This record gives sequence, C-alpha cells and structure tokens, in this order.
Amino acid sequence: MMLKKYFSTILMGIFLLGCEKEIQLPLDPNQSLLVIDGSITDDAGPYYIKLSKSNSISASSNFLAVTDALVIVKDNIGQIDTLKHEKEGEYKTNKIKGIYGNTYYLEVQVADKKYTANATMPEKVFLDSLRINPLAINGEIRYNVIPVYTDPISLGNSYRFIQKINDTLDKSFFVFNDNLNNGKVNQRPLRGGSDSLEVKLKDIIGIEMQCITRPTYLYYYSLNQQSGAGPGGGTTPANPPSNIVGGALGIFSAHTVQRRQVQIK
Amino acid sequence: MRLNKNGFLRFFCVIICVLQVQFSFGQDKFVLNGNVKDQATGEAIIRAVLRIEELPSLGVLSNEYGFYAISLPRGKYTLVVSQLGYEKYKEQLQLDSNLNLTILLKSANTLKEVVVESGRKNDNLLKAQMGTETLNLNTISKLPVIFGEKDILKTLQLLPGVKSAGEGNSGFYVRGGSADQNLILLDEAPVYNASHLLGFFSTFNSDAIKDATLIKGNGPAQYGGRLSSVLDVKMKDGNNQDLNVNGGLGLISSRISIEGPLQKEKSSFILSGRRTYADIFLRASDEFKDNILYFYDLNMKANFKIDEKNKIYLSGYFGRDELGLGDAFGIDWGNKTGTIRWNRIVSSRLFLNSSLIYSDYNYNVKLKNGLTNFNVNSNIKDLNLKQDYTFYLNPKNTLRFGFNSILHTITPSIFSGTVINSNPKKGRNGLENALYLSNYYKATDNLSVDYGMRLSAYSLMGGDAYNIYENDLLVNTIQLNKQSLGKTYVNPEPRMTANYRVTDQASIKAGYARNVQHLHLLSNSTASSPSDQWIGNSYNIKPEIADQLSVGFVQGWKNNNYELSTELYYKNLQNQLDYKDGAEINTLADVETAILFGVGRAYGLELLWKKKEGILTGWVSYTLSKTERKITGINQGNWYNAKQDRTHDIAIVGVYTLNSRWSISSVFVYNTGDAVTFPTGKYSIQGQTLYQYASRNGNRMPSNHRMDLSVTYDKKRKKRIQESWNFSLYNVYGRENAYQINFQDDPKDLSRTQIIQTSLFRWVPSVTYQFKF
Repeated sequence: MMLKKYFSTILMGIFLLGCEKEIQLPLDPNQSLLVIDGSITDDAGPYYIKLSKSNSISASSNFLAVTDALVIVKDNIGQIDTLKHEKEGEYKTNKIKGIYGNTYYLEVQVADKKYTANATMPEKVFLDSLRINPLAINGEIRYNVIPVYTDPISLGNSYRFIQKINDTLDKSFFVFNDNLNNGKVNQRPLRGGSDSLEVKLKDIIGIEMQCITRPTYLYYYSLNQQSGAGPGGGTTPANPPSNIVGGALGIFSAHTVQRRQVQIK
Repeated sequence: MRLNKNGFLRFFCVIICVLQVQFSFGQDKFVLNGNVKDQATGEAIIRAVLRIEELPSLGVLSNEYGFYAISLPRGKYTLVVSQLGYEKYKEQLQLDSNLNLTILLKSANTLKEVVVESGRKNDNLLKAQMGTETLNLNTISKLPVIFGEKDILKTLQLLPGVKSAGEGNSGFYVRGGSADQNLILLDEAPVYNASHLLGFFSTFNSDAIKDATLIKGNGPAQYGGRLSSVLDVKMKDGNNQDLNVNGGLGLISSRISIEGPLQKEKSSFILSGRRTYADIFLRASDEFKDNILYFYDLNMKANFKIDEKNKIYLSGYFGRDELGLGDAFGIDWGNKTGTIRWNRIVSSRLFLNSSLIYSDYNYNVKLKNGLTNFNVNSNIKDLNLKQDYTFYLNPKNTLRFGFNSILHTITPSIFSGTVINSNPKKGRNGLENALYLSNYYKATDNLSVDYGMRLSAYSLMGGDAYNIYENDLLVNTIQLNKQSLGKTYVNPEPRMTANYRVTDQASIKAGYARNVQHLHLLSNSTASSPSDQWIGNSYNIKPEIADQLSVGFVQGWKNNNYELSTELYYKNLQNQLDYKDGAEINTLADVETAILFGVGRAYGLELLWKKKEGILTGWVSYTLSKTERKITGINQGNWYNAKQDRTHDIAIVGVYTLNSRWSISSVFVYNTGDAVTFPTGKYSIQGQTLYQYASRNGNRMPSNHRMDLSVTYDKKRKKRIQESWNFSLYNVYGRENAYQINFQDDPKDLSRTQIIQTSLFRWVPSVTYQFKF
C-alpha cells in the first residue's frame, strides 16, 4: 500500500535502526504447477502464450519451458487459432486479431490436463501525454511520471502501466482503476513500492499503458499488496486471484497497448 | 430467539429466588460504608481489602471509586484494611447504627523490607478473579522499556495470555483474539486506537494513570462489546492535599503533570501532558528536515465533592499524532475522550454511578502533488450513557446492575480532493444497548460465585444504504432514515466465575463467559495502521460471538509471597471476519462485497509464577497456546493459524533493590515467531519473478528473544524535591529479531532467490530524568 511506503520512509528516518541481512529458512516442498503467461493485445500480432513450470525457491529461476502443449485461442466471432510452439515454451498465434470488445478464449492442454481462461478486450483510452512530477523532499528532488488520460464516463475502467527507466524494467506493478476518479483526467503519478527504481535527471522514462480487464487488475493489485511476512509485512500473501481455470498459475489478459517516453529535465 | 428470551427470564427467576432466601436472613443489620483513600494525596484506593477480625470469613473490596459497604449485625468489631504498598489500618468499631467511615491509608515505605502480615494471607485469594491481572504502576516504573517511556500496554505484554503485536509495539492480542477484540477503556471511555507513532507508544501517559486492570475474556456483566479482553484504565484523581508538579525528561519525549486541590480535601484536579520531540532533531539535519513525526497528548481530570453522598468527576483525554514528508504527504490521527461521572451514595447500601461518555477517533491523510491534492478522512464517534448500580444486599450478596446505551456514528474513509470525482460513501449510525445484572455471591467461607447476564442489542441505523448479498450477488438494498432503526441483533451474554478456597494458600477457579462484539475493525495489513477503519454490524455482518471456558488453580507459599497461578482456557469464536485476496477495502464502493466470514478457536495454558516481596521481586510467565480460523474462501476452507498464533511465549521479569537509592531490573522475553505465509515456489510472468504459495500461515517467523536492562537511581529527597534517573538498555545482547522477511531476486545473480530479514532495534539505550516537587 502506498501509505506503507511513506510510513517506512519516515520510520527509518527516525529510528535509523533498521538492518537487513540474508537468512536461510526451512521452506515447505513445492508442488510444481503450470504457469500461463498470455496476452492478446490490439497490436498487429502475432501474440504469444508462454508456458512454463514453477520451481522451488532454492532452485534456479531459469524455469523449465513446457513445449509439448496444445494451445488454442478462439474468439467470439468464430475464429479458432491453434498456436504453434516457437521456442522456450512460447506459442505463437497465426491468424487471430485483437479487437476491442471481443472476447478471447484460451485452452491449454498439457498431457491430459486442460486449462481454460477468457478475457474481453476493453476499449482503448487514449494516453495524451506523460507529465513529469518533481517533488522536493529533504533537499532532494524526486521525480515520477503522471500518465495523462481522460477516464471514460462509464465506471469500471482499469489500467496497467509498465515503466522502464533507461530501458531497465521497474519491478513495481502499477495498476489504476476509476473507483474514485471516474470520468476525470488522471492526476495520479506512478509511484512505486520499495523495489521501485529511482528516477534521476536526464533519465529516459518509457511507459506502456494498457487498458486491462477487471480480473487482470485484481491480479496485479493483489501482487502489489503483498510485501513481506512478519509484523512489519503487508497483507498475508497468497496466489493472486486469476482468471485461469484448472489449477495453473499466471494470467491470461486481453488489453490495449500504447507506448510513450519522456526525458526527465 | 424465543429460546434465548426464555433463558433470560429463567435466569432472572433464579436470581430473585436467591435474593429472597437472602432477604429472610438479612434483617436487623447495620451498614458500615465509606471511602478508602490515600492519606497523603486523597486519591481513592481501588480494591483495598476490608476485613472484620471477628468474622474471618468476611472480605470486601473497595470498588473502582474507593467506595465500600459492609452490612453487619449490631456489635463490636475490629476493622482491618489492607492494600499492597500501604500500611495496614486497624480500627475498633461499635456498630449500633449505620456508620459512614472514611479510611485513610498511609503509604508504606516500600524500600523497607515489608513484613508479611498474617492478615493478608487470604487477600490474594479474595482478589484472584478468573483471568484478571492488575498492574501496579510502581512495578512498571522500574522496568526497562524502549525509548525510556514506561508504558502499561508494553508491561501487559509480559503477562501470560497477552501477546505483543510486534517488537516495540504497544498493540496486543489476548488469548488468540485479534487486536480489535480488546475493549480499551480510559475512565470508561473507549479508546479506538490506543497507539501513537504506529504502535511504538501507547496513548497512556503513565504519569496520569492510577490503575490498569486486564480481564481476559471473563469480564463481569458490566463490561461488554469486545470478545477477547477488557483493559480498564483509570486516571488519577489528583492530589486533594497539596499542589504537586512532576515530570520526566527523556531522549524522545518529555512529560509534565500538575495536580492539586481545588478545595482542600474536597476537590482536586490533575493535568498531564506529553510530547515527543524527535522531529526537532530531524529538522536540524539536512537529510531528514522534511520528515514530520511527533505526537502529543493531554490528560485532564477534576473531581468535586458536592456533599458526603455526591461526587462529580470530569475526565478528558486528547491526543494527536502527526506524520509527514514536507507538504507532499501527511497523516494525522488521534483520540478525544470525555467522561462526566456522578457518584452517588443513594442509600447506605446502594451506590450509583452515572456516566455520560464521549469518544472520538479520526484520521486524515493528505497527499499533494503539484496542484493536485487528495484527502482521506475517517471517523468513529460514540455518545454513551451508562448507569451502574452496586447494591450491597448483605454480607453474602453484592448485586451489580445497570444499563448502557451507545450511539455510534461511523464514517468510513471518505475521499476528497481535486482528482476525486465521486464518493458515494456516507457514514452509518448504530445504537448499542445493554442491560445487565450480576450477583457476587459468597456462598460459604470458601466458595464465592459471581454470576450474571448481559443482554446486548445492536440496532442498525440510517446513513449509507445497506446492501444484502447472497453468494456474492446483491439481492436487496435497504435505505434507512438517519434516525430510524433497522434490524436489531439481540444477544444474551451469560457470565459466571466461581472461586473455591481449598486452603489458606490455594484456590480453584472456573469460569464461563459469552462476549458479543458489534463493531469490527477492517484492516488488510498485518501491522497496525492508523488508517484501519471500523465498521458496525449490517445485514451481512453479524455480531461476533465468543464463548470462553476456563479453569484455574492458584497456589501460594511462604504467606503467599510466592504464588503460582495456572489457567486453562478454551474459546470458540463465531462470525469472524476476513477479506478476499486483493480487496481494496478503502476505495471499494461497498466494502461488504469483499468480506468473508468464518469461525475460530483458541485454547491454551497460562502459568504465572510471582514473587511479590523482598529485595528481589518479579515474575515468570509462560503461555502455551493455539489460535486458528476457518473462513470460507481462505485456505480452501480449512483451518489455518491466525497470524498471532505463537506456540510458546515466555517472559521473565525481575526487579532487584540494592538499597534505598539503587535498583536494577531486567526483562527477558522469548516467543515463537508469528504464523506467516512463506512462498513454497516461484515462477516468472513477463520477466518478473513471482512467488507461489500453498497453505495460509503454515510457516513461522524465526523465534524472537531479547533481554533488556535498566538501572534506577532515586536521589535523596531534598526539601520538597524528589528526583530520579533511569538508564535502560533495550536488547542487551543485540539480537536481530525479524520484523519482516522478504523474498527477492539476488541482485548479483538474478536466477537465485534471496531471503532478506529486516530487524528494527538493537541496543537502544535511553535515559530518563524524573522529578517531583
């Protein structure tokens, strides 16, 4: 939560006592599950569905790719696309097109297990510009970016922003909805969590704006709330609620894409 | 419902029958009554033990205003009054008519080795109520504490059955309940957020406090509204003899209080204030000059004696926290409470206390970004009327009955600012009523029973619309007018404790209590946050119910200087709340769409071994416990550990008095780590490492332990001035207790996962200077 970041900044400021170290913990054995990472966008395509297997914490993060699955994407206007495995668990679409308002159905079959998901691509909300938002605190100027767009009158729009600072991915998940500012011009900056990168003068900030579905919002919002275990931690973590049926991890998203960049000056 | 009402009626019949039997015996008696007070200050003394030497089985305690009443047949008696820290009082009386007697107790020189008096032998047993702990403020003053700020809430955490919400945190959990299930009362006014600075300090300024009692779920019928415990904190009345100033200077905060008579021996006042000043140091440094961080609080109390039979008390508390970063971010929160009480001795046997109580907790968050600003505020307000009668029927029966009526105004987070378009949320009102009757029945010399019934009712009132959901679908919406009542939840809450004295030094206790809670705290974070908000019952949210069964045994040795008390409890919880994963409890139009319901259970064994007198005093406390929840929609509907589930909890507290000037004290604590959820695996989504989780709270934080030391030096009294110094060292051996554990990619090798532990406090020294004149 945003407040939490402020609290810890202030607390660390006062007590100057927090110390961090790497530790070892006995962890429960992991059940390796299928991971589905797929999206249909309004870009020209092709689109990719990536399949892999989850791994235990102590193992390497070079995850095992699933290469022998049957992957099909259908839409509500009768298109059926059987995807072809390209490389390292990435399956490529052949003909399906990402169109606003259309619903996409994903079917994945691995051995004799079947997984399904569906998502309806939202209308595109135009990203007008990126505004630099300087903030002077403790004699230091911090920067963040405000994506300027006008939220449509109808309630229920959700957005995701991917931020790259000089081509390095910012690991924070930025998701907005219109619970509070329905129909207004956005003025909320992209303010990341504790693992967010620092933005300095002259940096080039690249922003990808996605208009996402409500389940995708929930998925990333839940991830955002989870910050560590213990009395100082956030919400008790769990696998985020996902639209995939059948017991796989991950998310199947249908979203729009717009990219812009700005230099901090 | 009908069954419950019948049960209540039957219960009244039983009480009436018992009373009638007693009435037939209760003739030709006179009443001895009055107040017990401190001779030097005029402070009322609570829970002093009054005995009649000629009737050794009789024992009466003064009530929370120092009032007592004993009815006796005509005759000559020797009255003995005792209380820890005071010299024994003895007086010969001839009782030919009702007698009003004010008893003044003289403070004992605590540094002299106190001779254990045989008359006091049974006092501990008399006072030994089921699941009850009373904190002696003198003990607290010697114990080491973080930042040198003595704190009743932190001392409470050293008792069995009470667990700290985190290191250095004043939040606490009692017998497996959550933090919002404690009823914290300051002069009868509920304090909705009892912590300052995110929990590192409590709202209780120990200079203004006389007494604190914690009842772990077995509260007498006059208390209600929370499941786990009642913490009843009483402010000092103020010295009615002399004007006194006392204060303390610490590294982080300072405090000062003034007390004195308004009219000698008739009325007095106390004013006590406290403020932290770390922000002043911060402002001086370039690196932190925009950090805002402080709190202050003010306690006020005055009492007026109108005549021998009527006394008025006014008390108030005001506290505020301010936290911020320049003008970009700010949050402030605080409690305001006020109590007007009228103590009236209606007749020699009937004592009445009427109170009008106000309580208000609110918080405001401000965010500013160039030209845009964003505010959140939330508020809970109570207006509370209470009448509490104590009727000293006869030596065997003391009846307590009354009512309590609270109007709650609950306003959840309301958003405003340049970017906010609409916020349909409005506040809601609720009316909480309770009627109660209990009887303290001394059946025989050795057996006493306190039994009673509280009937609580919560009526939904107007404000925001109430939505009714069934299987996540909206089925109905009810809009009530601001003043009209909607659904009313009525719950009978039977309570009973019994105490059987086996020998002069041993007793057995047993108790059962049902508690019902109508207000619930919505918190989606494991740490306490000022922005946690309260919500009342609704059509979906039903009152939380706890049934607790407990048994105990107390054994004393060496004239009860040593005492071992053991308690076993089992608690069953209904209508417990939790949230769906990813619930945005602050911004959702109706937070009730995100709430899940379930049940809970908690059980445990508590041991407390005390040494009460001598050069070395202190206690060892041990708790073995388990607390679990089962909530539809969490952990596949299976039982899981509540986060505050800690198997073992040990505290060792010792105060060693070297001589009349120097004393040393030490605290050692050990506890099993909190139940937490660690990932079992990891995976990658769009180039980012995410973690895979299995069961909820199936893992443990590393266990916590630490030792604190403190040395107190009392300077020789010079004329009127009394000074003392306290030096403490928190976490003597620098244990790095885990405050938070995070999993992350190793920056040096991104294919590897690192487990990072954050710890807060190692070796925190502090110095406090105290003065009194």
